[in-house]
Amino acid sequence: MDVNQYLEIFLDETNEHLQSLSDQLMILEKEPENADTINEIFRAAHSLKGMAGTMGYKRMQALTHDMENVFSEIRNGKMKVTSQLVDVLFQTLDALEEYKNTIQETQDEGTNDNAAIIQALQKCLDEGTGAASAAATSTPAGGDAKKEAGSAADEGADDDRKWKSIKLQEHEINALKEAEEKKMNIYGCTVYIQESCILKAARAFLVFKALEELGEIIISDPSTQDIEDEKFDFDFSLYLVTQESYDKVEEAVMSVSEIEKVIGEAIPIETILDGEVEESKPAETEEAAPAAQDIKPEANVPASAAQTAPAPAQGGAGAPAKKAAGKPVVNRTVRVDIEKLDVLMNLVSELIIAKNSLVSYSSAGQAGTNNSNFNEQIEYLESVTTNLHESVMKVRMVPIESITTKFPRMIRDLSKKLNKKMELYMTGEDTELDRTVVDEIGDPLMHMLRNSADHGLESTEDRIAKGKNPVGSIYLDAYQDGNNVVIEVKDDGNGIDVEAVKRKAIERGTITAEQGENMSSKEIIDLLFLPSFSTAKVVSDVSGRGVGLDVVKSKIEALGGDVSVKTKLGEGSTFSIRLPLTLAIIQALMVIVGEEKYAISLGSIDTIEDISESEIKYVEAKEVINLRGNVIPLVRLHEVLGLEASADKKDRMIVVIVKKGDQYAGLVVDELIGQQEIVIKSLGKYINCTSRMISGATILGDGEVALIIDANCLI
Amino acid sequence: MDEISVMNNEFDTTQYIVINIGDEQYGIDIKYVDNIVRMQKITRVPNCQEYFKGVINLRGEVVPVMSFRMKVGLPETDLTNKTRIIIIKLEQNAPVGIIVDAVREVVTLSENNVDPAARNSTNTDASYINGIGKCGDTLISLLDLNVVISEKDKE
Repeated sequence: MDVNQYLEIFLDETNEHLQSLSDQLMILEKEPENADTINEIFRAAHSLKGMAGTMGYKRMQALTHDMENVFSEIRNGKMKVTSQLVDVLFQTLDALEEYKNTIQETQDEGTNDNAAIIQALQKCLDEGTGAASAAATSTPAGGDAKKEAGSAADEGADDDRKWKSIKLQEHEINALKEAEEKKMNIYGCTVYIQESCILKAARAFLVFKALEELGEIIISDPSTQDIEDEKFDFDFSLYLVTQESYDKVEEAVMSVSEIEKVIGEAIPIETILDGEVEESKPAETEEAAPAAQDIKPEANVPASAAQTAPAPAQGGAGAPAKKAAGKPVVNRTVRVDIEKLDVLMNLVSELIIAKNSLVSYSSAGQAGTNNSNFNEQIEYLESVTTNLHESVMKVRMVPIESITTKFPRMIRDLSKKLNKKMELYMTGEDTELDRTVVDEIGDPLMHMLRNSADHGLESTEDRIAKGKNPVGSIYLDAYQDGNNVVIEVKDDGNGIDVEAVKRKAIERGTITAEQGENMSSKEIIDLLFLPSFSTAKVVSDVSGRGVGLDVVKSKIEALGGDVSVKTKLGEGSTFSIRLPLTLAIIQALMVIVGEEKYAISLGSIDTIEDISESEIKYVEAKEVINLRGNVIPLVRLHEVLGLEASADKKDRMIVVIVKKGDQYAGLVVDELIGQQEIVIKSLGKYINCTSRMISGATILGDGEVALIIDANCLI
Repeated sequence: MDEISVMNNEFDTTQYIVINIGDEQYGIDIKYVDNIVRMQKITRVPNCQEYFKGVINLRGEVVPVMSFRMKVGLPETDLTNKTRIIIIKLEQNAPVGIIVDAVREVVTLSENNVDPAARNSTNTDASYINGIGKCGDTLISLLDLNVVISEKDKE
């Protein structure tokens, strides 16, 4: 059994369970008595443990196991949920997350035992359950399952003890006698696997492995070979020789997940010898053939275990050896709705049909077929490719939910750390963005939330003094706006103190006092995005080291988006991020400047105007036009692109008005070609555009390369 | 006999594409050459390094193209029908094109036919040449592509 193929599923599901645990814990903290939540948590923890066990990640399993114990006690009403307990549980989740990450990178869980967290969990358990703790800790795993199994075991006690019907051969009896002489304990036990278990052979193998660590399995029924081949129902019986106590044995068996129960007891050697006299004779004849494999039990057990090992052990022992160096072993995946795939498939078949009909036209076409039919096919092809593009884009889109879900937890932690009361309200988590963008904006958003929590919101005392709600609010709103997605982080804190920023900037020498006088408050706020600029008076653990907003800004800009701030002193501030929906294909306006073709993203274009030379005014020696009350600076594209001005001075100019947020600029172009869907290609890292105004290139229908002008850089 | 000597040599021989720049001959290790294409329309990229002539469309990929002459400080010449763009692909990196006057041939040089480049302080070209190959009576300067392509000489 090679577990590698399950690794992706394992990681996916681990992610889901961890997220659900984190969400539910948040709820639990608010509603400690919510039975549904507790059950939900318990289920998630339990599945997580099972999965880790199946994959052979023992440390992870051990940790989840301890966590599950705590939940189990809570569920049974023996423990109360305290804030302190939730803290420890969150720490546990972090540790689990770490395991998951290590597994993702190396396929191995690493060597961190997280003993401190396990101890903390135990401590919580001990404190929480008080006197009852001794029992709970000594048989932690068994606790739950045993109780469930308890009633069933009482009823049909003898039927359950199937090991009694194992027929022993002479070798086995000799082995048992030998063990008896060595003062070892002999246990007969029957292990029941949950009927819902899918990989029962693997479970059985894990049980065998666990037991072999404690002692020696003399015989099992069915034989190890049959168990390995999954030729058994949901139970198997065995004789075990060990020096450990029965409790230890039971614990070892129950540590394997999906084990329903284990029933067993110590067997005095006499009983075995008695039984042998009666049963050995028929046994020999009956089982001669099938038991052939069991004939040399002492040698056979380790040997067959070794046989079994190569297959299932690849998960446990084998995986670490196969360590992949460097890059993560698991590729990033997107879960795609099957419907979307169907649509794609349909479109592709339509595309093939369209291609075929074009082929038939071109082969039959020489003899003067009518052009209209041909055009019809082209149009058809066009609609198919547009639809295809849209569908592929949809497949790449994921809701930003995947990153926002971790924020409530973060705000909770921050609230504790900063000792401020705050709440996070989120809307529009279902807004969809390209996968690559979603992956990238997680960190910037986190920065901004931290920023709001730390700098934005006042301390609880200040808020009370100001007559505000002592609990601060942070809002994270996402919505789609045309071809853009806007994400806003808003707080109802103190807002940005423009004067303080100005003082600080002057103090730091970023600007001179005179410059400060002439700057608008907007320009001053923009200073916050400069590297190493933090207004927090005290550098805290959370933020204030001045590596926040500038990183946010550069990251967002790298994604083709931008950040802006609105603030009102005393009432709070709003940071909004504007991101393009997709990165790969855009609608663009093709223009001609000089003799070169350029593309301008349609998303940034506001209007196209026809301006006469006489309308140009000058402000501070710069050309501007007054367009319907807006003063818009003019940018002569041939100048910034390093071209010579066209010789014939035309009176009327074509001006493309571009907009970024609420700022405008007019780009003077020579000619318009029209609107086109273009595929963005990178220029590569060799070419170094000093002004960054070329954001990429695209290939036109005739094979020519046209450059894409990033209008944002010209404003 | 011949075959055996070829076999023996195979371990320490390298194949080079020999290009002409003016009267000089340069060798480019063939393992870095992705493609050789004829001169085609180059789209100028404004405000970039001077030696980059722009970008071309190489079967749907946008590839930057530099002028070898400008990169090493030689005067530009007119394009002829022998002018070629050699598409270089260093490991991991994106392809980049180099404009050369002409492509002559492919030669196989064994290691003992390659001398280390003369480190002459007055010779500014020496830095991007990592060896001189001898092929018959002609000498071939073997290019160190990493240096040629890299951003080193910012004046």
